[in-house]
Amino acid sequence: MQFISVEKKRGEPKKLKFDKLAKQWYTEVGGSSFVAEKINHPAYQQIIEMGPAVVPFLLRELEQKPTHWFHALQTITGVNPIKPEQRGRVKHITQAWLQWGKNNGYKW
Amino acid sequence: MSTVDVWLANHCPNLFPDQYQIISPKTSDYNCIAWAAEEDDRWWDPTDPYGYWLDEVPRELTLAAFIKLYQMLGYESCDSAKLEPGWQRVAIYTRNNGDPDDAQPTHVARQLPNGRWTSKIGELEDIEHELNGLRGFYYGKVTQILKRPINT
Repeated sequence: MQFISVEKKRGEPKKLKFDKLAKQWYTEVGGSSFVAEKINHPAYQQIIEMGPAVVPFLLRELEQKPTHWFHALQTITGVNPIKPEQRGRVKHITQAWLQWGKNNGYKW
Repeated sequence: MSTVDVWLANHCPNLFPDQYQIISPKTSDYNCIAWAAEEDDRWWDPTDPYGYWLDEVPRELTLAAFIKLYQMLGYESCDSAKLEPGWQRVAIYTRNNGDPDDAQPTHVARQLPNGRWTSKIGELEDIEHELNGLRGFYYGKVTQILKRPINT
């Protein structure tokens, strides 16, 4: 129990930082129709720089509000679970990533 | 105030709250390029490796590529944005990022039968508005109108 609570505390600053950056990113480029603009945003790049620790946060975000976190996930994990016929289908791509997360033992 | 109200207030100084109506919930299922093409279940984006784009059109953020995209959908270039019975129009907005010869598409809107225009604002809501309402530092200006006959 103590271990879990210490681990939880260690994760909290990262989670807070992630939530702040994710909110800033959505507020500032939510109105853009171009993914290049979204992924070049400084907040998005900072999230990528946070590394593997943010994968569960990204999966949780995707589950709650599907949006363009796919590039961050691919950059961090080196994986691309998307089939060519799924291009443009945000809900399908989201489901593919959530399934990948489950298959690889992530909990969010 | 919805998310799109806040976003428009910050990015479209020529569009006042009483000059547009929100006509859909927000969603990332589709964007302005898809919505102009009357599709609401795919994100059309040449800058996105995960995005949909027609195979016959160069995957690049250029006015030429956007014109070709809508030509592939049956549109032809025209000069007027005026409502014309029997024709549907789309308008491509571009912005010069310092280079007048390098106008990059920023947005596409589609004309409605009432003469106003409908736009999907990124992954936010759809709005109905006047064409020049989105003009400004973010979307730039309308540089290309295309039209196609309405199927009856």
